[in-house]
Amino acid sequence: MLPAIFLPPPGDVLRTAWELARDGSLWVNIAASLGRVLLGVVVSAPLAVALGVLVGLSRRLAAVLEPIASFFNALSGIAWLPLAVTWFGLGWTSVTFIMFNTIFFLVFFNTLIGVRTVPRIFEHAVSTLGGSRRHLILHVLIPGALPSIVTGLHMGIGFGWRALIAAEMIATSTGLGFLIYNAANFHQTDTILVGIVTIGLLWLGTDRFILQPLERRTVERWGLVSTAP
Amino acid sequence: MRALRHRTIAFLVAAVAVWGGWEAFLSLTAPRRVDAAVAQALHREGRANVAVTLGFAPEDFHIRLFQSHGVVSGVRGTTVLLNRVGADDVGRIARYYWVRGITLQ
Amino acid sequence: MTVRWDLAATWAAVLAVTLAGWGLAAATLPVPDYYLPPPTAVFAAFGDLVVKGILPTYIAESLRRMLLAALIGLAAGVPLGLVLGMSRRVADFAYPLLNFFQSVSGIAWLPLMLVWFGFGERTILVAVNYTVLFPVIFNALLGVRSVPRLYVNALRTLGASRWRIVRDVLLPGALPSIATGMRLGLAYGWRALIAAEMLVGAHGLGFMIFNAQAFHLTARIMLGMGTIGVLWLVLDYFLLRPLEEATISRWGLVQR
Repeated sequence: MLPAIFLPPPGDVLRTAWELARDGSLWVNIAASLGRVLLGVVVSAPLAVALGVLVGLSRRLAAVLEPIASFFNALSGIAWLPLAVTWFGLGWTSVTFIMFNTIFFLVFFNTLIGVRTVPRIFEHAVSTLGGSRRHLILHVLIPGALPSIVTGLHMGIGFGWRALIAAEMIATSTGLGFLIYNAANFHQTDTILVGIVTIGLLWLGTDRFILQPLERRTVERWGLVSTAP
Repeated sequence: MRALRHRTIAFLVAAVAVWGGWEAFLSLTAPRRVDAAVAQALHREGRANVAVTLGFAPEDFHIRLFQSHGVVSGVRGTTVLLNRVGADDVGRIARYYWVRGITLQ
Repeated sequence: MTVRWDLAATWAAVLAVTLAGWGLAAATLPVPDYYLPPPTAVFAAFGDLVVKGILPTYIAESLRRMLLAALIGLAAGVPLGLVLGMSRRVADFAYPLLNFFQSVSGIAWLPLMLVWFGFGERTILVAVNYTVLFPVIFNALLGVRSVPRLYVNALRTLGASRWRIVRDVLLPGALPSIATGMRLGLAYGWRALIAAEMLVGAHGLGFMIFNAQAFHLTARIMLGMGTIGVLWLVLDYFLLRPLEEATISRWGLVQR
């Protein structure tokens, strides 16, 4: 059969998984990767929504900024890494910056689109009833844009997670990406496979148990879904 | 499907036309870059030691590229000295639009 | 194609303001020169790299790899997805597997590919093709499964052969999903390509910006980033999005 270095038998992989779990290195790296995702979401999503709503209030401004936001979407993730390393050096700042960027632009863009597709009649209804700008934003625009926002979040985390793994291979010494890339240097294919399975399971879990239900609930509640690249 | 007729088809047609035109341009200008002496040397021996002149000082990129065509023996200013280059490779080097000329060392 | 001059004028104005602001920041911010090169430096880098033949070569490399992945995705992924989707039992079995493999992007497989194939073109191609293939297969499968059985049965009662059913009902019905799958797969694939080029270093735009960082050639980094973004926008706007929209408008019912 193939030499073990190419495709280790499942038994080896399980054993390595157990060892990595036991000596803690697996958890440390999982925590590092997930922590960066969380940090990226917590820092950039609210900012992106706020800016998206603000810009979306003015139709003119929105029409102008949309292609710019679209461009930065196309640029998401790993392409920022060399610039980030130039500015921040190697390490977790650069890598988290990648996460931040990816999520920020996708959420901003989708918020923008979401706000713009809220039918004008709702805005007029609110002002007819004597509502203030704040009412408009809180009770019409944000709920109306919510399906788009959540879709943006979903895509942002999806693209961001992938970019994160790649960035961890290049620019830092913790995280799942680093774990598997480092293992490749020592031809430790069993460790690589453990890492790969972990990465897949983590995304599957996040997608299935957090993001998709969230998306479904907001769509059910506030209706129409519009997606963006 | 009619929308395709506008954006995508136009784009593809333009892309193919530009690419075809460019390749034709390269084929036309390539022979002019090769010095007659080089052609003779190739004819005689099959391989030649050439000096490739660029319009600028070569970078890593260029050196590495030339290493796939022959043995780089030195760089003099804007010229790269390349040894044991076969006829095919001379042809390929001549097709790089940024190469000014290929002469015998 | 109508050109909206008012919109174009506004964009031009915004672009001018952005460039001016950028230039100002580059001149006044108290950071080392290589942190923020002014727009002029980026344009100069563009001219420089085109004259030297570097930028077109790298663009061609990256596009070539992408084209190959698209062709393989189309030629291999679509039929595979269709076949897997045709039988309910097979589809139910394949669904979680495909979902899992889609969740592991090609880049995560890169270290394994490095052990198997080393630092070369093959490693990049395997990673990128993998990344493109799975969303295509997955969406093709979903597309086939989303065709209402009613249509299949209707054709069956009219005596159609299996092949006719595939050609006239399943394939068209699945086309919107397939187009979406291609678009998604290529979106992931393009990003995976850049990352792979950075890690493996066999030319390409990813390599260009990664290499430029080592020499603090920040203008080249920005140029590369701009090129990467613009290339994707062009591909998406002229090829992928029209294709998706055309299939949706023609073959209709898409549950997204």
